[in-house]
Amino acid sequence: MGSAPSDGAAQSPLAAFKILIAGGFGAGKTTLVGAVSEVRPLHTEEALTSASVGHDDLRGVGSKTTTTVAMDFGRITISGQVVLYLFGTPGQERFWFMWDELSYGALGAVVLADTRRLGDCFPSVDYFERRQVPFVVAINCFDDAARYDPEDVRVALDLGPRVPMLLCDARQRGSAKEVLITLVEHVLASRPHEGPGAVVPA
Amino acid sequence: MSAGDKWLDRSAGPVVRPYALTGGRTAPAGGEVLDLIAVVVATRQVTGGRDGLSPEHRRILRLCQRPVTVADVASDTALPVGVVRVLLSDLTQEGWITVLPQRPADEQPSADLLKEVLHGLRAL
Repeated sequence: MGSAPSDGAAQSPLAAFKILIAGGFGAGKTTLVGAVSEVRPLHTEEALTSASVGHDDLRGVGSKTTTTVAMDFGRITISGQVVLYLFGTPGQERFWFMWDELSYGALGAVVLADTRRLGDCFPSVDYFERRQVPFVVAINCFDDAARYDPEDVRVALDLGPRVPMLLCDARQRGSAKEVLITLVEHVLASRPHEGPGAVVPA
Repeated sequence: MSAGDKWLDRSAGPVVRPYALTGGRTAPAGGEVLDLIAVVVATRQVTGGRDGLSPEHRRILRLCQRPVTVADVASDTALPVGVVRVLLSDLTQEGWITVLPQRPADEQPSADLLKEVLHGLRAL
């Protein structure tokens, strides 16, 4: 978009990038988005599918066929022409279908890991690996959680050596910023030297 | 705040059922579902004339006087993304706005652009 040659359009190009913030429930997605970006309200109406049965109590709502999903959404203005958008991925399984849309064309993703519930981030890791979306794993250091060597976490998550991993405090702006910087550096480093279109292994 | 307004703040959600604003339509007129970060821009100014636009269309059109993303339009209007997509599609069909070409999803951004992002993040 922003790198496209100008064809004389009067409007300045706007390069918008999507970064996904994933991880289990309570891993700190909302906190991280809030620490580093201008948080904005965003909601979507999603069709209720059979997957919702058993999750949403539909008694008494008659023909209600959509449900409102509030999303974690933040904006970082890099310049007048470049804007980063952070989207927290909805945690509940019934909203998995939204991930496909969110990850389409995404610059990359952050998987927030909580070492007390490491298993919660397996689905995110699997997803981004399968989709070949570049990602980093940020271990959110909760005050009451035991500290682990990131390399032990790497083994536990069965991550390849190329996936960057770092400790973070999602509440701290500087730390959240470092997570995003690590991701963009990873995207840049994974970039093939020749031309676009090559597949980058996660 | 009167008793009647008490339940009608932003967090209470819309007073009108969302898809009432689109005449019940849940799919964009052109069939194309815009990406959340697709960039749209108005091609002409909002006029006061009889142009068949609803107040929501007008609000969106005003936001589109400079290039904006679908997500920003949804956020600024507090309308659900699905509704915004339908309304944006109406405006595209009628030639009020245009969708700016996007970088193909499988094409990586240029190194220069990524470096600009990095630089911007470091400067935050």
